[in-house]
Amino acid sequence: MAQIDLSDISVTDANIRIRELGEAGENIEVLNPDARHHIGVGLTAPVTVHVKGSAGYFCAGLTDTPNFVVENNVGWGLADNMLQGSVVVKGNAGAIAGVAIRGAEVVIHGNMGSRAGQVMKEGTLLCGGNANFMAGYMMYGGRIIILGDSGAKIGEDMTSGNIYVAGKVDDLGSDAMLIDLPADERDDILAFLDKYELKAPKSFQKIVNAGTKLRYGTAEPQMRPMPFFEFSGKSDYWNTKVQEDIHIKAHTGRYRIRGYGGARSLPHLSDIAFRKDLSGAANEPDPVSKVEMRTEIGGINGANPLKISMPIMVAPMSYGALSRSTKQAIGIASGLSDIAENTGEGGMSDAQRDAASQLIFQCLGGRLGWNIHDMKRADGLEIYISQGAKPGLGGQLMAKKVTPELAKIRGIPHGIDLRSPSRHPDILGADDLVIKIEEFREATGYKLPVSVKLGAGRVRDDIKIAVKDGFDFVELDGMQGSTGAGSAEVLEFVGIPTLAAIVEAEEALAEIGRRQDIQLILMGGLRDGIDAVKALCLGADAAAFGTSAIIAGGCIACMQCHVGQCVTGIATQDPEHEKRYQPLVEAQNIHRFFESVRWQVAALAHAMGHTSVTQFSRDDLVALTPEAAAITGLPYEPEYRNQIPEALKMQKVG
Amino acid sequence: MCGIAGILYKKKGGPGGRNVGAGQALIDMLDGCQHRGPDSTGFALYREDTSGILRLRFFIGEGPEAIAAKTTIHKTLADHGATVVEEHDEGTTVTLRVNYGGDIQELSYALEHAAKLMSVGASLDIIKDIGTAHDVDDIYAVRDFQGTHGLGHVRLATESDVKPEAAHPFWATGFSDIAIVHNGQITNYWKMRRRLERRGYQFHTDNDSELIAVYLADKLKTGTVLNDALKESIDDLDGTFSFLVSTKDEIGYAKDRLAVKPMVKYEDDDIIAIASEEVSLNRLFPGQPLNTMEPPPGTFQTWHR
Repeated sequence: MAQIDLSDISVTDANIRIRELGEAGENIEVLNPDARHHIGVGLTAPVTVHVKGSAGYFCAGLTDTPNFVVENNVGWGLADNMLQGSVVVKGNAGAIAGVAIRGAEVVIHGNMGSRAGQVMKEGTLLCGGNANFMAGYMMYGGRIIILGDSGAKIGEDMTSGNIYVAGKVDDLGSDAMLIDLPADERDDILAFLDKYELKAPKSFQKIVNAGTKLRYGTAEPQMRPMPFFEFSGKSDYWNTKVQEDIHIKAHTGRYRIRGYGGARSLPHLSDIAFRKDLSGAANEPDPVSKVEMRTEIGGINGANPLKISMPIMVAPMSYGALSRSTKQAIGIASGLSDIAENTGEGGMSDAQRDAASQLIFQCLGGRLGWNIHDMKRADGLEIYISQGAKPGLGGQLMAKKVTPELAKIRGIPHGIDLRSPSRHPDILGADDLVIKIEEFREATGYKLPVSVKLGAGRVRDDIKIAVKDGFDFVELDGMQGSTGAGSAEVLEFVGIPTLAAIVEAEEALAEIGRRQDIQLILMGGLRDGIDAVKALCLGADAAAFGTSAIIAGGCIACMQCHVGQCVTGIATQDPEHEKRYQPLVEAQNIHRFFESVRWQVAALAHAMGHTSVTQFSRDDLVALTPEAAAITGLPYEPEYRNQIPEALKMQKVG
Repeated sequence: MCGIAGILYKKKGGPGGRNVGAGQALIDMLDGCQHRGPDSTGFALYREDTSGILRLRFFIGEGPEAIAAKTTIHKTLADHGATVVEEHDEGTTVTLRVNYGGDIQELSYALEHAAKLMSVGASLDIIKDIGTAHDVDDIYAVRDFQGTHGLGHVRLATESDVKPEAAHPFWATGFSDIAIVHNGQITNYWKMRRRLERRGYQFHTDNDSELIAVYLADKLKTGTVLNDALKESIDDLDGTFSFLVSTKDEIGYAKDRLAVKPMVKYEDDDIIAIASEEVSLNRLFPGQPLNTMEPPPGTFQTWHR
């Protein structure tokens, strides 16, 4: 039994030591813990860690297979995302005990705080005392056993799993119901109590999902899509497009859902132009050799940066919205072009990991597919707060796409209309976020950059919080960004355009004098290297492509991503449909598109007289419309409208 | 965007009878949760109650700015018939003790217009500045404070600048001896503020902590006891909040119905201590397991000294 005394060493050093001892198979005693945060995070060895006192936030978080015993109380987020293994707490636990566990056994002898077991997937959370408010909130599976009273709104919006309460149940949450306890389940519970030497109460009540909210009611009729106003053929007020919209709502009684980005015309990067004479841009046969393009992202606070061959990245898109083959093709293309790929929401696959040279692993509120092992093999970690297409809302994945295979990776029941949580269980303010970021860094030894994905909303405030909280970089997503499924009204009318987002972000950072302390990646409707260069001129450190990459790989822009029957095999989980997609062929197409971007960026830089992509600046730009001038503060000079030479315009791929 | 702490000594000697002053106890608690707010730190301390003499603390800055501020303060005090008994510069602030028998609200509104007033009270003294608990203690010797109770706050500045006057705690503008520390966001801020403004109250900042302080002070002024005022606040205030309030004789807490903002309390025969995180409470009893409790959502409580 090795001893670690937290009155002598920092938690960071203690965690390194705990992992080393874990590797060596040695059990550990932690002395004088004094409610410090992050004790034991990232441990993936089947050893015992005995915490001789109280632990703070995220005790035993992001772990697999260890057995923790805590002598006294624990703070928020006990056993966060613990896979296998166990935690026994002899005192009380704070809020969100057992959050997002995927198999672990978590036993609390005393009371537990609010929202215990939020988004848990599998395993057992036991509370010997009383549970507070909203136990089992949005749980996807596993079981919660409460030996005392349940607290208010128990089982609020639980999707699946079971809750057993021995004490009083006064107040059921939305979409939860009480049922009789089957005898075999009672035996299972008693066996579990016996294993942890707890006294069995007389009886239990059982709470399960009532099934009223897992699927949308009437399905939206599938019809020939007319997504753009312009497609309606007539411009009169009650045109065909408007009629279609009303007809569908009259049928379903709710808002409409569709994929892709907004179709409204908004001020965008195409409303600004380059000030310099670029007519000679295509004259240099090999501009790439003339311009330094290698870029490092995420190293400013000491983590190992992403090293990319040009200031270009792939925007986060989930396995789920997209098929496995599509994610594989994008991964291969990103590897071939030596840029960074991003997992998006739905977890990481081996094929994707192997193909991508630089891979960012994204963590969302539902913790779908999130786990310590994939964190450790990622090149960067990202906390998703929101996305440009639907800022403030969670993802939507319709039942057709929630196949058993996909459900297994995400840890959810299959066949539901999945509405991912719009917020994180453990990030309810900038102060909590500090502790969450530190948990990630503790668990991965401070090696990986940690970024935040922000949909453009209150950019000015959000960016300040991002830099204050110590993120390494921000992926800023404007309103023109796309999505696999979202409410049509939100796609069209909610958010801040990409152009305004980057300008606001730069202004906010200048205001607090912290521009050098964070890097910015701009995305949201970027279509080619010309858009990327404009983003860099406006201040971005890199630009990211999502929709363009998919289109390069065969997408026909029908806007029916949400339906799950994508004819190209991209936005589908149906194996028959996916067969049509040839990942190795499409990977080459996507790769060639990225290479066209590389050439455009280099040619523009060279023509402007720059020798490095870091030399772009606002001085290179003018605004073509009064709106763009007002948004960006660039001089309004519409005569530059035809400045881009024909030779530089986007070529047809293939 | 912050961490909060409050302590009340029921007996002399404080936590475990270790003879730690309340000032030192608050420094330790805030040092424990400084990660929640590294930008600025503040304390609301209740010093010896000298009835008839008001204690005023102002932020005055440095150099010519400070001299100008002091001139204005003295003129305003003289205009309202307040006579200065004692004056003491500390850091970027000045503390004045004045003889004043008039209406406190009238005087404090006039002073608010003239200068940056941090606190008013027969015993309340708010000390706040940029930096950590230890930084602030180095300038203002908070550790020497031996009173019965006080509040503390560490701030992560997100929406406004890092300035001493934007730090917390806040006092209830216009009312003596009421202070607040708050973690959260009041979403019906403007509705509540307009309601109070229509009744003649003035606000010195756009900060929702100030609103809570004035809201509670108004209740107390009209005869509601603190415990009932806190109960009503849970109905009236919309948003996410965990706050602590203190008066000359009491401290109390209230927590919103969604339990979004953390709060942990510890109580024994010697003290009641409340903080955002248990790590702060453990600082009072190093190496000892504590029987702490997380207050349930929608609850409130008060303690008398």
